[in-house]
Amino acid sequence: MTAEAKPDPLIHPITRLSICGLLAAGADWVEFAALRDAAGISDSVLSKQSRVLEEAHYVEVRKGAVGRKPRTWFRLTPAGRQAVEGHLAWLAQLEQAVAAGAQDASAARPAPAAADQPRPLRPPLLGST
Amino acid sequence: MRDVTRDPAALERLRVQRSRLADRLRPPWWYVAGAVVAWAVGFTGQFSLQYLPRVDYWAAGAAQLVLFCLLQWGLARSSGLKVGPRPRRVLRDGLFYYRPGRPALIAMLIVSLAVGETEFLLIRHGRIAAAAAAAVAGVVIQATLQLAWLRGVRQALRDGEAV
Repeated sequence: MTAEAKPDPLIHPITRLSICGLLAAGADWVEFAALRDAAGISDSVLSKQSRVLEEAHYVEVRKGAVGRKPRTWFRLTPAGRQAVEGHLAWLAQLEQAVAAGAQDASAARPAPAAADQPRPLRPPLLGST
Repeated sequence: MRDVTRDPAALERLRVQRSRLADRLRPPWWYVAGAVVAWAVGFTGQFSLQYLPRVDYWAAGAAQLVLFCLLQWGLARSSGLKVGPRPRRVLRDGLFYYRPGRPALIAMLIVSLAVGETEFLLIRHGRIAAAAAAAVAGVVIQATLQLAWLRGVRQALRDGEAV
């Protein structure tokens, strides 16, 4: 991943992260039902969130039909792909930081008696990096 | 709406979702059967030169291409995913811009040329049975490689690298 690691507030919520992360996995176009089932979300949630992403020019939507059955396809725009890659890189750094913090906490624990109150681990908030 | 910084398992969840998406790309029976037919059609081209002079040699290649396009279209329709080299990107970035399953794709090209040449030489020397055996072996190898290519694409989807 070569994109600069930085958080993107638009794709920070879990549902939008799922949608963008799935679209960034590598398929050129992903159909509505495939995206909905893989993300484990409802039709209405996908419609609503995809509209937000489309308005931000992160996602391109193509509507078609097979017979009478309407079909909607999604794909990431280049801007969307860059934002997702940056955000995923930032999340990976965050994950590493949390894992390192957990290791430090367990190493710094002096005696079993003092282990009653473990050191709280707080991941950095959005925009604090 | 939930925030990923309050849910450290967000990336793990995304991995599971990608795996679920990749699983949709498992080839149905007709895809395997179609791949076998497409390669069989392709490898009959050499025989048509000798035994079917009225049939254009290139017609076998064109029929094979049409079958491959139909297979990819069918797979996209059944899986809900459009993967593999896209015609516009191929024109812009070349045939090998698409990385997933590339070793299998290169092997398919090499086997295709090798089997075609072997068939040509064997038919020219009148060894028809050997040429037919080479064609059958070619079909089996190519269909296996095509499934290996699809496996590579699925793995890349799981890893999020199939850009």
